[in-house]
Amino acid sequence: MHAFFATIRTSYRRQLTYRAANLSGLATNLMFGFFRAAVLIALYNGQASVNGLSIQGAITYAGLAQAMIGYLSFFQWYELMHTVYDGQVGSDLLKPMNYFSYWLGIDTGRALGAFLIRSLPLFLVFALFYDIVLPPTLLHWLAFLLSLVLALLISFSYRFMVNLAAFWTPNALGVGRFAFGLSWTFSGFYMPLALFPDWIAQLSRVTPFGAGVYVPIEIFLGIVAGKELLNRLLLQVFWVLFLGLLAHFVLARGIRKLVIQGG
Amino acid sequence: MKRAIGLLAKLLRIQVRSQLQYPTSFILEVFSSAIILGFFFVSFALTFSRFDQIGGWTLGEVAFIWGITEFSFGVMDMVFSGFDYDSFGPMIRNGRFDQLLLRPVNITLQVLGSRFVLRRMGKILEGVIIFIYGLSLVNIDWTIGKIIYIPILSFSQVLFFGSLFIFGATTTFWTMERLEILNVFTYGGSEIMSYPMHIFPRAIRLIFTFLVPAIFMSYFPAVYILEKSDPLNAPGVVSFLAPLLGLGMLALALRFWKVGIRNYQSTGS
Repeated sequence: MHAFFATIRTSYRRQLTYRAANLSGLATNLMFGFFRAAVLIALYNGQASVNGLSIQGAITYAGLAQAMIGYLSFFQWYELMHTVYDGQVGSDLLKPMNYFSYWLGIDTGRALGAFLIRSLPLFLVFALFYDIVLPPTLLHWLAFLLSLVLALLISFSYRFMVNLAAFWTPNALGVGRFAFGLSWTFSGFYMPLALFPDWIAQLSRVTPFGAGVYVPIEIFLGIVAGKELLNRLLLQVFWVLFLGLLAHFVLARGIRKLVIQGG
Repeated sequence: MKRAIGLLAKLLRIQVRSQLQYPTSFILEVFSSAIILGFFFVSFALTFSRFDQIGGWTLGEVAFIWGITEFSFGVMDMVFSGFDYDSFGPMIRNGRFDQLLLRPVNITLQVLGSRFVLRRMGKILEGVIIFIYGLSLVNIDWTIGKIIYIPILSFSQVLFFGSLFIFGATTTFWTMERLEILNVFTYGGSEIMSYPMHIFPRAIRLIFTFLVPAIFMSYFPAVYILEKSDPLNAPGVVSFLAPLLGLGMLALALRFWKVGIRNYQSTGS
């Protein structure tokens, strides 16, 4: 456990050292947030609410979705893959620490750093420009924070597994591009799921991608409450457990396949 | 000149052949990337079913410029892959760029031939499909002028995006790292060019008019081709500046590139 926290701490510090990169990423996500908000405003064209999503909610969504990118890193992540191809994986596997936990530690540190200096300031600046929605109750705030943690675990287990493809093939980038394409597609990142035809919205919501990206947003916006909110959190818990177990299983199989290069 | 073109063709042929080593996997990648990239438009179209317009434009009209922009960006991303600042940074850091400098061949040519990402066919294909979908929805009053202007516009867009890539790659000479903020102009530029641009706030419009002239590359030409009324009340001539600005930007970008190379100091690795 001590090693796990040490890993988080180191990775967190490392994330904070990339100041220029973080600032540049923040500005980029912020601009895209403005673009998407403008598109939603133009679509709404003065309507107060569409299918239960208010215009303020839609605008807030645009900022939140961009803020989630840095923290969740759900759409692109090849760090583990690189260590397989440069041979670093050999010494990582020799560490007296579970390989999954080791990377979870690294990713948690990265996420914490990104949250503090990228996601949070981005959303605060975004909020200066627009009339945004905040979670309606204290319960929503707490549920939102919890769902953010669960979302990171979902995102991590998925990315971990995708990267493990490198244990099997010397060119897993194609697998990665496809897998991350899926997470772009079903996460409700391009457009709020509430504006989709209902059946597609429902389908996307139950995928790990919707559960990872869109559920925290819905809770933040206060679209769900009571029993529905609890169901959303349970859905997230399901994906955390399922993907976590699956990742361990894939890892166990992968280690037998792994051919270490260079090193 | 003839030798240069022959050489470039040779470099590109090597690239293409190596990428076609696994044809099945290549074709799969092209189609899957077309589908995945296309989903952004699909999301927009699905959402659009709950609305009836965006800035006074129909879905077909948006698809029309969306398709052209995706197509041009895809072509550019394939042809100008060597200048993609995502891969140019590593090329400088690991010293591969120094190797190129040592060869007695024009450096710009070598960079252009150093990478040719064939799987961008996926994005090109996606753009074509969206464009055709747009054409099927809108009723354009075709004139010879419009028919000739569409390919010219697309070519101008290729030059426009290509110039942005060259600018981006050149900044790497000083920063050594790719600057993510450049994405605002390249990928972000292509994103906002896919919509009727008058919907964006004034500050964004000013940036994409005077700093990066994206608005002349899609919105104004589309106002002419689709015969839309322009809430910005710009004079008619702005619809036809695309080729001029495309060439101008390329000239400027190459100028900057030359300055960058002259001031380039290797990382020493």
